[in-house]
Amino acid sequence: MHTLPQQLANGLFLGSMYGLIAIGYTMVYGIVQLINFAHGEIFMTGAFGALTVWNCLPDGMNIWAALPLMLIGGAIVSVLIAVGAERFAYRPLRGAPRLAPLITAIGLSLALQQAIFVWYPGADNAKDFPQLGTHPYHLGSIAIQRNDIFLVAAAVVCMVGLAAFVRTSRTGRAMQATAQDPDTAQLMGIDTNRIIVIAFAIGGLFAAVAGVAFGLKYGQITYNMGFQAGLKAFTAAVLGGIGNIYGAMLGGLVLGIAEACATAYIANIPGMHQLGGQGWANVWAFVLLIVVLLVRPQGLLGERVADRA
Amino acid sequence: MTDIPLTEPLQPTPLGTTHPDAARSDSFVTLPPGVARIATLVGVAGTIVSTFMSWTYTSAFPGDLTVNGYPGGLQVLTLIGAILTGLVALGAFGVKGLTWLVPNRSPNAVLLLAAGTFATTWYAVIAIAQELGGLANLNPGGFVAAVASLVLLVGTLGLPIDRQPLDPSGAEYYELGRLSENGPARGTYRWLRQARLNHGELPVPDPARAPAWVQYLTIVVVAAAGVKVLTYGLATGYTELFIGYLILVVFTLWAFIAAGLTRQFSKITADHRPFAALMGVVAAVAYPFVQNNEHWANLGVNILIFGTVALGLNIVVGLTGLLDLGYVAFLGVGAYAAALVSGSQYSIWSGVEFPFWAAALTGMAASLVFGVLIGAPTLRLRGDYLAIVTLGFGEIFRIAVNNLDGVSGPKVTNGPNGISQIPDLSVFGYNLGDPHQFGSITLGRFANYYLLMLVITVIVVLVFTRASDSRIGRSWIAIREDETAATAMGINGFRVKLIAFALGASLAGLAGTVSAHVTYSVVPNPYQFSGAAPPNSAFLLAAVVLGGMGTVSGPVLGAALLYIVPEKLGFLQRYELFAFGVTLILIMRFRPEGIIPNRRRKLEFHQDEALLPAQQALGDGTAALGKAGA
Amino acid sequence: MTTTTSTTTEPARTPDGTPLLEASGVIMRFGGLTAVRDVSLTVNSGEIVGLIGPNGAGKTTFFNCLTGLYIPTEGSVTYKGTVLPPKPHLVTKAGVARTFQNIRLFANMTVLENVLVGRHTRTREGLISALIRGPGYHRAEARSRERAMELLEFTGLAAKADHLARNLPYGEQRKLEIARALASEPGLLLLDEPTAGMNPQETRATEELVFAIRDQGIAVLVIEHDMRFIFNLCDRVAVLVQGEKLVEGTSEVVQNDERVVAAYLGEPFEPEAAPATAGSGPAAEPAPEAAEESAEESAEEAAAEPAGEPAEEGAAEPAAETVAEPEEGRDPEPAAESHPEPTPADPDPEAGPGTQEQENDR
Ligand SMILES: Nc1ncnc2c1ncn2[C@@H]1O[C@H](COP(=O)(O)OP(=O)(O)OP(=O)(O)O)[C@@H](O)[C@H]1O
Ligand SMILES: [Mg+2]
Repeated sequence: MHTLPQQLANGLFLGSMYGLIAIGYTMVYGIVQLINFAHGEIFMTGAFGALTVWNCLPDGMNIWAALPLMLIGGAIVSVLIAVGAERFAYRPLRGAPRLAPLITAIGLSLALQQAIFVWYPGADNAKDFPQLGTHPYHLGSIAIQRNDIFLVAAAVVCMVGLAAFVRTSRTGRAMQATAQDPDTAQLMGIDTNRIIVIAFAIGGLFAAVAGVAFGLKYGQITYNMGFQAGLKAFTAAVLGGIGNIYGAMLGGLVLGIAEACATAYIANIPGMHQLGGQGWANVWAFVLLIVVLLVRPQGLLGERVADRA
Repeated sequence: MTDIPLTEPLQPTPLGTTHPDAARSDSFVTLPPGVARIATLVGVAGTIVSTFMSWTYTSAFPGDLTVNGYPGGLQVLTLIGAILTGLVALGAFGVKGLTWLVPNRSPNAVLLLAAGTFATTWYAVIAIAQELGGLANLNPGGFVAAVASLVLLVGTLGLPIDRQPLDPSGAEYYELGRLSENGPARGTYRWLRQARLNHGELPVPDPARAPAWVQYLTIVVVAAAGVKVLTYGLATGYTELFIGYLILVVFTLWAFIAAGLTRQFSKITADHRPFAALMGVVAAVAYPFVQNNEHWANLGVNILIFGTVALGLNIVVGLTGLLDLGYVAFLGVGAYAAALVSGSQYSIWSGVEFPFWAAALTGMAASLVFGVLIGAPTLRLRGDYLAIVTLGFGEIFRIAVNNLDGVSGPKVTNGPNGISQIPDLSVFGYNLGDPHQFGSITLGRFANYYLLMLVITVIVVLVFTRASDSRIGRSWIAIREDETAATAMGINGFRVKLIAFALGASLAGLAGTVSAHVTYSVVPNPYQFSGAAPPNSAFLLAAVVLGGMGTVSGPVLGAALLYIVPEKLGFLQRYELFAFGVTLILIMRFRPEGIIPNRRRKLEFHQDEALLPAQQALGDGTAALGKAGA
Repeated sequence: MTTTTSTTTEPARTPDGTPLLEASGVIMRFGGLTAVRDVSLTVNSGEIVGLIGPNGAGKTTFFNCLTGLYIPTEGSVTYKGTVLPPKPHLVTKAGVARTFQNIRLFANMTVLENVLVGRHTRTREGLISALIRGPGYHRAEARSRERAMELLEFTGLAAKADHLARNLPYGEQRKLEIARALASEPGLLLLDEPTAGMNPQETRATEELVFAIRDQGIAVLVIEHDMRFIFNLCDRVAVLVQGEKLVEGTSEVVQNDERVVAAYLGEPFEPEAAPATAGSGPAAEPAPEAAEESAEESAEEAAAEPAGEPAEEGAAEPAAETVAEPEEGRDPEPAAESHPEPTPADPDPEAGPGTQEQENDR
């Protein structure tokens, strides 16, 4: 179980999830330079939306058949919340100094989390999420859970779709232009408000997919799962170079693999035998972040941006 | 093409283009002027009389409102509100001897006080009817109170009110977007905007012309009244009374602002800064003697600890514009450091017992080291990275103290059990754990700690004010305003930010050392990003933002509110954090400058500044916020 | 304000010739875009040098390279013979101050505080001394305020010392930027379009101000689109087109250079006919290639964080008296002032630990 390939695979699965969430952070940041702190909660509400759909479906329904419906349900919830947040919380603050939207984002994050806690039936405790089945597949010595296959497949589909969208569609190119220079883009006739809404919507969509994947992977979802996941995903976005969508996915994968390896191998380093294990995984993730920021402040795929004077 | 500014362009504001009198529009309700005044006075009289009548049959409603001839509970609040309204109304109508109550002669203050009295009274009446199950439970006195306060409100609505002129800049379109093309939405928006009463921008006489003794006396009276009002609020025994109190206090303060009284008072305190500071300290020292009760003393200590840490955070966020989302960890570092050297038997160095000054220095030094460790790699980078790294640091701290228990990590903090049985402090042979007798008054354990913490708060306030008004403080603010321009003016951005960050961290560490002793034990739970009770990083940030960034009194006030309101409004419990999150969003949207805006005092009595159009008052809002990194 | 005729005569205000700032072979690339191509420029002490060129020519970028905001891809910049470190605060400390094209004041600080921030490099009170507030601190602070007020008098802003910078009208904001830059007691002042957005009267007043600054012994390098302003003011003018220095010489030489006329001026410059261009409008269209290139500012690759933080705070520069009242209605073509008069050094013993000599004469 503890072979290196197995750890790499585990890291890859975890990392795809981080990457999916990180894309939401990175796209929004790239365009409006806002850390959408509530993105972790959008991920969480996506999972709850999907769970709600599952609970509404007739008992004993095949999970594979239900999965598309759950994804759609989760996506609707997440996208609505993300777009609503942009429209009613962030947009009025667009000209304001940077701290204002950041604090709004923190408030929004708490409010969403508590709204689920207070009003979603039974959400004070962890809620069980349907499972895809427990028998893992084996690839050589590596055991792969079915959930993880869904996760990787979803991540690949999302990434390829997004890359195609950004490269080929008019909107996608407008998006890139807006990220480069919002004022000029506006002068060129691009409706920046629309572009920003689309960025939030795509972020919400991917977060919902990640939320479903999270539920499948861990079997349970909680009202406060967005905080940790969001924090990790943002770390991944910074690692990969904030503003760069490929960087977000790469950062997620690197972070996931680093975390899996740290959990498994740190304890083998002489003098650190007590610092391995799951409990310390997050600590190592953040240490990695700080080291990367020291060595390569713009992130793995980021470009150095000079402040124009 | 010319460069497009990345930062907000500076919008020059025309000075004195609109005289506020131009905005003095008519009343909300059209009444002949004489009728409005008479209705106001009749309403006041009726409301006063009603409080001496019985409002309900049974004493089931808390506060016993059944007695005729003697006001009790909520009736007292109504009575106070009505008397204040009457006096201020007479002042606004020009009655000799009372005009000083309304220095700017604006009737807005009367309207606000009337609204406060009305709201308190109707809240009481409705609460009685609702809790006891129907209007039948009301005595005639209750109806008299309701009707009289309604007459009062309608009368004041008929007074000629000073309104803010509509914002001439594009703000309307900006805020409404496409909605601004839509008739009803636009109309509602304009109405709401105009309904915003003019908050004291009208010119007032300079109080410096008054004799010096009057000015000193004013400071003393205000300080005493402050202690009285605060202790009354804390001592309110039931939720209904506290809510009534809150309504009345908010409207009264608002009315004082609208009357220009607060403006005059802040001028007086600015002119007599040392004396005002002294009175502030005297009032704070008086608190445990006046409110001689261990529970409230405990609350007082907690507020001071929380407020002091918030002040430290204000250096980082409010002055320097760096967003620190893991600040509570520095409080935790200080607390754990103090606990380890406290001589507690659960400390890994149980033999070590530092005297207080050494423990305080240890706590500060430990926080300082962590502050530099976190700051040094990140402060070179853009502002947003700091937010995420500090958040990460907060998580690392939480995880570490939970895991350093000897099982899942080295043994240092005992994990979730924490370090308990921390002995009481002893300062100059005065054991803070024992009650001490002062004349007829006994100061208990928490009162002792309250006084110790007060000393530390005063130190932190001094550090804050002195640092902010100096070369280094100016460079912090310059960095907050525009980092690129600041470095181009010769400021070493990294160095100056690191100093702010380290100073903030060590002040939090200092507060942490006291908090470890106050609570007997140090456990990981309070030191997280968010939680149901203060202190945690989100609450700290909220205290700063709510109170007013960059000010001294703002964060302390914010801290007090964040402690007292949940304590008093027990029914909120489950919804508390939700309400908290929504409050943050609303504040940023509608009053980003916080309760106490960071205005430049010197400006306040410039003639032309006094006539600034409303736009500036609105624009000032975001002013205090600064930018996290340029 | 009698600055109508100008320029066409001899280059009167000849400088004393000692090079103050020497930029050699400066190249600045942003990814694929080369904004500054191998530009060399010298500013001598006591000189006013103009830098002109169409929009997007790289003038501001060149300024940013000089002041350490950008690290030039290649080339070096020396000031008084020593290489300027690519850190903005060290450049200012060395004696080169600047203003910004898009005004960058500290909007929520008062006018006086803005200028006090400019004094940062010339004072050294740290956190500790601010907390203790000994007599030395009070003296230094009082002196800083005094100097700042002098500068506000000089720029005509003294009456508004307590106003917030954000509430000043546009023209006064530009003046405040200049006052703030002067507070750092520079030997060389870089002005980026100081009259952009000003009306003709304000522009003339700014002209006077620049002359007065030069008379303090401070050399000036100024970017402008207002040709009248440039040709009235400058001893020498350099023309930048598409990042390259096309010509450099006296106003006369530059005005009559065919390439400049073709690339920028559009028609031979006639002082009387020239419109007072405000901000963004040079007389002619920029060369089409230049426009195209500037539209494609795709890959941004620029200055960032080099590792070491050089130890700050060397010996503080002596706070010297460099500013006096400007002479009203000054003759636009004064006789050559080859050696700026050293103004008397400040008598305050607290001003600086060591030398009291005039900084600009070194
Ligand atoms: N940080 C940067 N990243 C990428 N490109 C940049 C950057 N700064 C400037 N440029 C580009 O360099 C070129 C020169 O710009 P610069 O601002 O120096 O022109 P300028 O001569 O000052 O023009 P103007 O007269 O309009 O002020 C432009 O094409 C601009 O887009
Ligand atoms: Mg330019």
